[in-house]
Amino acid sequence: MNSLKPHPASFRDPAGFVYKKDESIYRFVSNKYKEEFTSFITTGLYKELVAEGFIIPFEQIAENHFNDKEWFTTLKPNYIPFISYASEWCFDQLKDAALLTLKLSRRALYKGMILKDATHLNIQFLHGAPVHIDSLSFERYHEGESWAAYRQFCECFLNPLLLAVYHNMEVHKLLTAYKEGVPASITSGLLPFKTKLKPSILLHVHLQAKLGGKTNSHETKKRKLTSKDLLHIIQHLESCIQALNIKKTKSTWNNYYDETILSTNYLTAKREIVTSWLTTIHYSTAVDLGANKGEFSELLNKNASVIATDFDSNCIQSLYGSLKNNSITNILPLVIDITQPTPATGWNNEEQQSFVSRSQYDLGLALALIHHLAIGKNISLIQIAQLFSNICSKLIIEFIPKDDPKVADMLQNRKDIFEKYAIGEFENAFTTYFNVIKKEGIPHSNRTLYLMEKK
Amino acid sequence: MTHLLYLDPGSGSYFLQVIIAAAIGALFYFKTGWNWIKSFFVKQPPEDSKKNNNEQP
Repeated sequence: MNSLKPHPASFRDPAGFVYKKDESIYRFVSNKYKEEFTSFITTGLYKELVAEGFIIPFEQIAENHFNDKEWFTTLKPNYIPFISYASEWCFDQLKDAALLTLKLSRRALYKGMILKDATHLNIQFLHGAPVHIDSLSFERYHEGESWAAYRQFCECFLNPLLLAVYHNMEVHKLLTAYKEGVPASITSGLLPFKTKLKPSILLHVHLQAKLGGKTNSHETKKRKLTSKDLLHIIQHLESCIQALNIKKTKSTWNNYYDETILSTNYLTAKREIVTSWLTTIHYSTAVDLGANKGEFSELLNKNASVIATDFDSNCIQSLYGSLKNNSITNILPLVIDITQPTPATGWNNEEQQSFVSRSQYDLGLALALIHHLAIGKNISLIQIAQLFSNICSKLIIEFIPKDDPKVADMLQNRKDIFEKYAIGEFENAFTTYFNVIKKEGIPHSNRTLYLMEKK
Repeated sequence: MTHLLYLDPGSGSYFLQVIIAAAIGALFYFKTGWNWIKSFFVKQPPEDSKKNNNEQP
């Protein structure tokens, strides 16, 4: 009896599906997609896109694991260490994913093919850049056809980016609410009037909202679309998206280290302790919870795959930009609020996995974080210890006592209901799940650092 | 001709794309004309607009 099953998120496309076998990911390609797949290879499109790192490479395997008579071939794509979703990306990550999608559509058209879908679910971040992962997205273009994925592209990429630019809305929150993209009708209603004077927004958003999905018209009989028309539409979208940028806004967090009362001496001392501890432990995956601008994520081993999370999208936006500028490719910055991590969604709650279920790291960093969870969000120390023990085997954590100026600030205008927030209680809670390996007070502060290992 | 339409047919919105393609064509025409007129008055910058040409087939 064959116990293999398609991945729960891979059931919509009749061309094939993804499945897991012996810890590897495979893609079943159906006979229905035979000619499209053959064109994808023989036109040289696959080779060209792989060479430039735009799509995930695969190995073609002559094994029909399902013994299915519809089987044409099996693909074994390269491994992606961490799957992230657009509801966890900052503005520039979504923008880069959009530009990649358009570039692929354009390159495909040059070779007589087209992208049949244009969702952010087909994009992942690998080695610091977006990469397209759905090898069955390319099909042959026949003159006279429209771009079937046009509306999907606008909803998944263009509309949330525009709302971020004109309304300061955060793209990760928009795409948390609108999982399949923000409809043109909603975007059009929210955008200011002046956007109607911009030809790109007028055409791709306002006109789209007005016309909706109208299909039957005499116009369509009179004029047939050509690949040149579609190229013009795609290039127009590219220049429109290329020009979209959000202003650098000051939030409480993205200037945390520059402007707060934290002294440089304290930061230097903390960096020295963390650096020396990191040389004593082995890890190949790590998470930095509350990474801010990634100052400490960057201390981690360059060979380790690191997820740097923060709930503030401004911090992640700055971090993504600086990682790109400095060509640091082992850190994936994501907008995650650890007090409300990404839930499992989609059909049967299985299409997109929750952040916690995707999280299993050799090492966790939780620096200057615990007071925000315990005092800012009333989460008990034992709950915090339990969550951390679920997601990481080793932990570097900083305890910040009540008499710390930061905590004092937090308690200034509220009743202190946190009797159990003390170093002894902290140690009791965490030693339920961890063994303390090292403990050191941070000079120039009353804070303490711990290196712990899961029991 | 096999079609694996797994997005709903309205997604492509033929009519909308016809209009957009025509409008972009008109905009391009207008821009080219405007640049042509401008070229009589403004000195041409050095040619650096070929950066994307290597992407052409």
